[in-house]
Amino acid sequence: MEEQTFVSKARTAFHSAAAKAERVLLDFKSDREDHDKQSSPNTFTGQQPEAESPHTNENDSKLRSELKHIKWRPPHLGIKQDWQDRIKNIRRGRKEVEDTDKVGDASMAVPFYDDNLYLLNMKNDLEAKASEAIPSVESLTAATKDPIPPSSVLKQLAIAVEAGSKAKSMKDLIASSGVSSPARERAGLSFSAVKALVLREKEDKLTSEFTSNEKVVQLINSLFDPEGDFLRRKINSNLEETAMTSLPRDIHGAPPESLVVKLAEILGNYKTLRKMALFWCRVVAELRKLWSEEQYLPGVPQNEIPDLKSCLLYQHFQVINCCISRKRFRIIATESLDSMMMQANSDIKESTDCCAGAPASPVLYARLNSGELVLRLGADHPAGDMTLLETGEPVYSPITQEGPLLTEDLIRETEEFVLRTGSVGAGCSQLLSDMQAFKAANPGCILEDFVRWYSPPDWTDNEASTEDSDVFDSGEPLSTRGQLSQRMQKEGNLWRELWETSKPVPAVKQAPLFDEDLALEGILNAFEDIHPSDLFGQLFVSLLGLGFAIAEPMLSSNSDFSKLFYDCKEYIIVACQNNKLNEKVDDLVQVYETVEKMLLDPEEALKMIRQTEESTMVTGEPRSPFRTLSLIFGGKDKLLRKSVSKDQTNDEEKSGRQSFSSFFDSKSSLFGKKPPKSGFPSPSAKSSIDTGWTVV
Amino acid sequence: MESSPTQEFEYLFKLLMIGDSGVGKSSLLLCFTSDSFEDLSPTIGVDFKVKYLTMEGKKLKLAIWDTAGQERFRTLTSSYYRGAQGIIMAYDVTRRETFTNLSEIWAKEIDLYSTNPECVKMLVGNKVDKESDRVVTKKEGIDFARECGCLFTECSAKTRANVQQCFEELVLKILDTPSLLAEGSKGNKKNIFKDKPSQSDATSSCC
Repeated sequence: MEEQTFVSKARTAFHSAAAKAERVLLDFKSDREDHDKQSSPNTFTGQQPEAESPHTNENDSKLRSELKHIKWRPPHLGIKQDWQDRIKNIRRGRKEVEDTDKVGDASMAVPFYDDNLYLLNMKNDLEAKASEAIPSVESLTAATKDPIPPSSVLKQLAIAVEAGSKAKSMKDLIASSGVSSPARERAGLSFSAVKALVLREKEDKLTSEFTSNEKVVQLINSLFDPEGDFLRRKINSNLEETAMTSLPRDIHGAPPESLVVKLAEILGNYKTLRKMALFWCRVVAELRKLWSEEQYLPGVPQNEIPDLKSCLLYQHFQVINCCISRKRFRIIATESLDSMMMQANSDIKESTDCCAGAPASPVLYARLNSGELVLRLGADHPAGDMTLLETGEPVYSPITQEGPLLTEDLIRETEEFVLRTGSVGAGCSQLLSDMQAFKAANPGCILEDFVRWYSPPDWTDNEASTEDSDVFDSGEPLSTRGQLSQRMQKEGNLWRELWETSKPVPAVKQAPLFDEDLALEGILNAFEDIHPSDLFGQLFVSLLGLGFAIAEPMLSSNSDFSKLFYDCKEYIIVACQNNKLNEKVDDLVQVYETVEKMLLDPEEALKMIRQTEESTMVTGEPRSPFRTLSLIFGGKDKLLRKSVSKDQTNDEEKSGRQSFSSFFDSKSSLFGKKPPKSGFPSPSAKSSIDTGWTVV
Repeated sequence: MESSPTQEFEYLFKLLMIGDSGVGKSSLLLCFTSDSFEDLSPTIGVDFKVKYLTMEGKKLKLAIWDTAGQERFRTLTSSYYRGAQGIIMAYDVTRRETFTNLSEIWAKEIDLYSTNPECVKMLVGNKVDKESDRVVTKKEGIDFARECGCLFTECSAKTRANVQQCFEELVLKILDTPSLLAEGSKGNKKNIFKDKPSQSDATSSCC
């Protein structure tokens, strides 16, 4: 604040007095904050509300003011020194900033000096930018020695969430001139306009320079290194497993140590929104590369369906890995099937030449009633001790296709689609696929065999068939061995109609129920078009969850702090389950800073607690560590404005999902109405079934 | 098949029916929405019906999702747990296995897939008209419901005994839960019917 005060004195006494008066007014009229910010034409006075958060209580405000005063007052600074000397001192001071802990504080000063340097000397301005702290693998690795991620990282994500809600897309952030806070963005508009004229031609060059920057490349490689322990912190495992995993899901974040959390920590260390956006684009490019090479994402399970309680970004990462697993499996299964068919062909030749009756072991056959041997395709394993009703051959469970991988947004879309159109084709698609796979693996089967395997309650064995199990009697009527349930025997039963229409096709040869390539293209496109507030909001919540997950075992047994810690935890759960995250990020950062202080500076935290308790006793107000929050909850005008922007966000999300609606539209045509019975005359159906088998 | 005219409503609630295949979930739903009984073919995947009610002076629209109980359909049906305010866990009082599987299988599915921590669960024993074949006593049902923290009732889709009360009791409990009431409110931005209610009234069977 010393620099701020000093600069004010460079103007007339009138301006200085006006600035002080305005600050006093703002302290008492925080509810008019937004209006005052917009109306203030003065660059320097516009910064004051940002420097002193009006939502902080008076004690905290004074405390921070003193801390900044101590930290940022150059010991040799004098009124009479000229600008050049001051610039040298500033540079020397910034070089001393080594810990990531302090980078957040440095960000408060850097934009201020940028503006001054521009006024005095554009060249110096560029030089100053070059010396700005840039995250690297080394600096981030050093930061993991702190018990929890520094609050400055979370604060930067909070700034991005707020600024992102005003931007239209990630590209807006890339096009920005590098301001890092909403207030400065507005205050610096005139400067930005001038800079744009000068720097426009260099913009593309800067972008390409960023993406090929050595530190960026190293960060990307470390982030996606499956063997590395980059950004790994010690998480105390004394607590129950459920406690460790429940908090991230309660706040709709991501699991600790997951890729999302590490990404959040990296992005939070960048100082400008533009670089955060550029790094995200670099990440998306890497994701495309990994998908094309079928490489798993580290820090994400390899074959789990999306966890709807985690954030959408994590769900999408789960889908990516699951699709890679499915692709790999299909390749193996297809090769295995092709190999078996080649083996079967060569077996035929050998059989002809040598008159040998026994085929090689990996090839499976089923014998029909006519005595013909038919190749089993896509058979996985015997289905218990079941045998086919007509032929007596063992029943094999087939390899089947897996269903769609739906993230929460696609589930919502699917549900809306089904409700709107009445189409429930997904179930029929799966049933038909399973019937075809079953037929391919069990030549000579009938619908009753399928039902016994697929829906056991719909089949009833007769006791007589059990008694006769030792005696083979091919002439025994089917009805005496058991029967389908009443409901399955009904006329017009769709199961029978699907059975009649299905052909013996193994799963790996069928049209896919879920197209991995199409799904991944949708996800990667969504990543490229993601709204900044959506991305940074999810990263913010995920990093918040990590900090609390790590802190909980350390503080829960501390008698001084456990009460306050659980108050903080409860607060963040309630705040994050609310829809309007944008309005709460600043408060959540404060809560996080409280937890951070309890861990890093317990004595200071104890003093704060006692001060709070004393002031509560004096004033008689209800005891609450977040008294100022009531101002926010009471601000209805603010809520209304946020609601409007939220609606716009929802509209954008829906439009981005158009491709999946068309996907389901094409499916609905398959099952828009029941197939006419006359289309399946019994004789031709039987003959077509026979011709579907591979006869040896 | 049911075709409802467009109706006004203030609240939309999503209900989900789960349980083993063949316990009568689809028949229960048909009985509630159409007051009729049929021995329906097994559900393929999922189906749904819409029902309009007025309770406690509030106009309600219920979207009731009926799921296939076969194991192979479980991944498909797991999507529909998301956001449900009410879940009906159905079993057949004449088949003990369907009761056992509620704790072995279906309660675990709810833990895995339900995203609504306050959703109301109801245990429903069906086919009480077959009293001579009963193998699960009412007391066993009550004890399990108490253990699970859910409502309990027994009914018969065939005789229509207690079916209406079953659904109404579930809805009343939802109306008594402030967070669920807020979710179902038409003003809630998450409500999928907010923009186009008129297009969502038709119900139809599978394919």
